[in-house]
Amino acid sequence: MRSRFFPPVFKGRLHDARTATSIGRWLGLAFAVCFCTGLISHFMQHPPGWLAGELPSRPVWGYRFTQGLHVASGIAAIPLLLAKLWTVYPRLFEWPPVRSVRHALERVSVAVLVAAALFELATGLLNTAQWYPWPFSFVEVHYAVAWLLIGALVLHIAVKAPEIAAHWSRRSAGTLSLPAEDAPDRRSLLAAVAAAVGAVTITTVGQSFTPLKDLTLLAPRHPDHGPEGLPVNRTAAAAGVGLIHPERYRLTISGPRPYTLTLDELRALPQHEVELPIACVEGWSKSAHWTGVRVVDLLERAGAPVHARVRVVSLQTRGGYRVSEMGHEHARDPLTLLALRLNGEELSPDHGYPVRLIAPNRPGVLQTKWVGRLEVLS
Amino acid sequence: MRVKVLRLLAGAAGLALMGVGASLLLDRQQDLMGVLEWLGGAVVLHDALLAPLVLLVGLVLVRGGVRGPIRGALLVGGALTAVALPVLLRPGPRANSTVLPLDYPRNWLLTLVAVATFTVLLVVAKEVRRSRRRPPS
Repeated sequence: MRSRFFPPVFKGRLHDARTATSIGRWLGLAFAVCFCTGLISHFMQHPPGWLAGELPSRPVWGYRFTQGLHVASGIAAIPLLLAKLWTVYPRLFEWPPVRSVRHALERVSVAVLVAAALFELATGLLNTAQWYPWPFSFVEVHYAVAWLLIGALVLHIAVKAPEIAAHWSRRSAGTLSLPAEDAPDRRSLLAAVAAAVGAVTITTVGQSFTPLKDLTLLAPRHPDHGPEGLPVNRTAAAAGVGLIHPERYRLTISGPRPYTLTLDELRALPQHEVELPIACVEGWSKSAHWTGVRVVDLLERAGAPVHARVRVVSLQTRGGYRVSEMGHEHARDPLTLLALRLNGEELSPDHGYPVRLIAPNRPGVLQTKWVGRLEVLS
Repeated sequence: MRVKVLRLLAGAAGLALMGVGASLLLDRQQDLMGVLEWLGGAVVLHDALLAPLVLLVGLVLVRGGVRGPIRGALLVGGALTAVALPVLLRPGPRANSTVLPLDYPRNWLLTLVAVATFTVLLVVAKEVRRSRRRPPS
């Protein structure tokens, strides 16, 4: 196998452990943040039984913050990962390829790490643009490979710990043994990587961090684009509800004392105004002004027990998330409304006309639109 | 000694976490082949195509006294391009008009122009500073 051209010789500089350590720790941090915020999102959307009733409804901006951070840290990790892989690329052609069983295992674990890292960032980024060119289901696979990635990362850090420690700072022993004339060039490279992270962040983060919305050039959503100044995920047409006739609309509340309300009766109930964000799993979010009836008031009238879970059923006929559930923390939160108005206007069909759920610290897909029924669960 | 134990524990924890991921994947038999293809494909695409291409571009373009700024410009421009690829290339109809609502080709070119302009200004500023520092001959 060995020939004049293989393995290739790399004469370029900076493919060294100090550069790898400097970039690697930022990449590690980005992956750690991305993993933790991803776990939070997963448990808020698919809570296991023991957690389902206990999810907190505060802070109000909780999911908006963690999911915005999830997508932002994933995007920031893209230049970091590519720079890190560039730094260590010559090691792919180590000769001999395998020196021992231990060395073989280490290389396999690095292969898993690289594959999982590229996979997670690529699928996550494509998902934000609602582009699904693969044959598997995104949510479950992105979640599973995240565990693979974080495990391989922890293993990699354990294996490389001595090298990382030896190159941690500019004055560490390993760093000092590298050619001193590389230092300015390395600083220039690291500055460029930092600039790349800044550039991709600033041109996308405005989709959730609205003060920077005017710099949103490359994000798949813009906070100002949508009916009533708010983006939409599933339209009324896509959900198969069309325009619901106000005379025919009924809201059913089932519970110990079930009852039904017409739209006029709902409008006649005490209306409350809240400022709450819609925060989508794909990363965009925006705060809006909602007016409607408190869910807790409706539940009281139905004689719901204090710790009851509540199921919210939509009138939509197509698509997932037709039904959402919430624990007592969300159901009893005074900010949780069945909203009738958005930013001073009646809800548009795409925002859930005539009635939608809006609750604090809750993923956007669970803010059920076109609500037709509230069910008090035991 | 304590460090060695810590390393072993961390390594074991890493393996356990990988085990969680592997078992979650094995639970999805119907997806498994597709996932493995995409995992392998990502590595091949990077190692056999993207990395050699980047190294080649570096070999050809990043040289001389301004190698730092040129490399910086390529790196930032490349990162912006990588992040913009999905919004630039996504085929098929959008779910609705609020998905991908911007003029992305224009915006992408704008960011590249901004990077180029900033780089030129940086090089000029450095040059001016250096010539000022040099004593008059």
